[in-house]
Amino acid sequence: MSDCKRGFCTRTALAAATTLLLIPGLARAQTPSAKASSTPSTTSAKQDRWLHVRVISSDAKGETVRVNVPLELAEKVLPAINHDRLHGGKVKIDCAHVNDVDLRVMVDAIRSAKDGEYVTVQGTENDVRVAKQDNHLIVHVLDKGKAKRSQVEIKVPMKVIDALFSAGKDELDLVAALHALSAAGDTELVSVKDNENTVKVWLDSKNVTD
Amino acid sequence: MILLAKAALGVTGTLFVAGAYTFHEGVIRIDVDEHRAGGSHVHVWVPAAAVPMAMHLVPQKQLREAVEHSREALPIAHAIVKELKKYPDVDLVEVVDGKQHVQIRTRNGKLQIDVEAPDEQVHLLVPLSTLEDVTRQLEDSAPRA
Repeated sequence: MSDCKRGFCTRTALAAATTLLLIPGLARAQTPSAKASSTPSTTSAKQDRWLHVRVISSDAKGETVRVNVPLELAEKVLPAINHDRLHGGKVKIDCAHVNDVDLRVMVDAIRSAKDGEYVTVQGTENDVRVAKQDNHLIVHVLDKGKAKRSQVEIKVPMKVIDALFSAGKDELDLVAALHALSAAGDTELVSVKDNENTVKVWLDSKNVTD
Repeated sequence: MILLAKAALGVTGTLFVAGAYTFHEGVIRIDVDEHRAGGSHVHVWVPAAAVPMAMHLVPQKQLREAVEHSREALPIAHAIVKELKKYPDVDLVEVVDGKQHVQIRTRNGKLQIDVEAPDEQVHLLVPLSTLEDVTRQLEDSAPRA
């Protein structure tokens, strides 16, 4: 073999071997380190709706829980769950009568009623307020117990409640409720505050908690 | 000499193509470090593309048993993974409890689970496409009703 050809072969073989050796390195470079801390974008490309849950405990350990779930993901996954009373995205309730109150009738009544305060209880231990305001059902409970003072605020769009009760009798349609929720604007759904914990459930277009 | 060079080039080329294919889906990375006496330290890097291929080698009986045990969870896992692929990097769950820190998130099309505690650290990195392949294969191997 001529020197020129031998040199070419050697160089080609060397280049190929070097590339081969580099492949795992390249693959590794493409794979972010388990400890990598690239920051996710705050707003998703298309306007996805995200459900956020945040629990902050003020005890010595300072426990914090943050959950971010895309609503569309929840909508797609819920029908796949078939367990106990949950089937096809609908949850069975034995009877829509809770404590002798027909929930469906109550929802119908609230839907057709005008905005206003429906229930206002001011007791020595609890304050309760149930109201309809700007097409939202608002529930406010203040527990004035001496040991553990807590405050619960729930604000749910009426369309979501309608969707929840849109399934057949004795069923709650969770998927329909999530779908209705995705059409709602940024809103704080649940807020619970007591001496030890703060819980917040809200909806927005960001894929990270603040 | 030319023959030898050609053979070397052929082998190298084959290895190159095989290597490129094996790593094209990235790697599955498992790191476990237990910081205590006798604690184990496991560091595994597996080419993600090898896992669905390796599943074809698992005996059907064992595969069916695995499917039986995870019958309820498989469709859910498959649906979650399939949907997660559509989203950019997401911090799904984060729990901080004292010195313990758990994070479940997606990064560059991979599911990343990090657990950090004073006595142990676990880091898991799995491409979502591999998880989807595996869950689909397991679902396919379930006995038809």
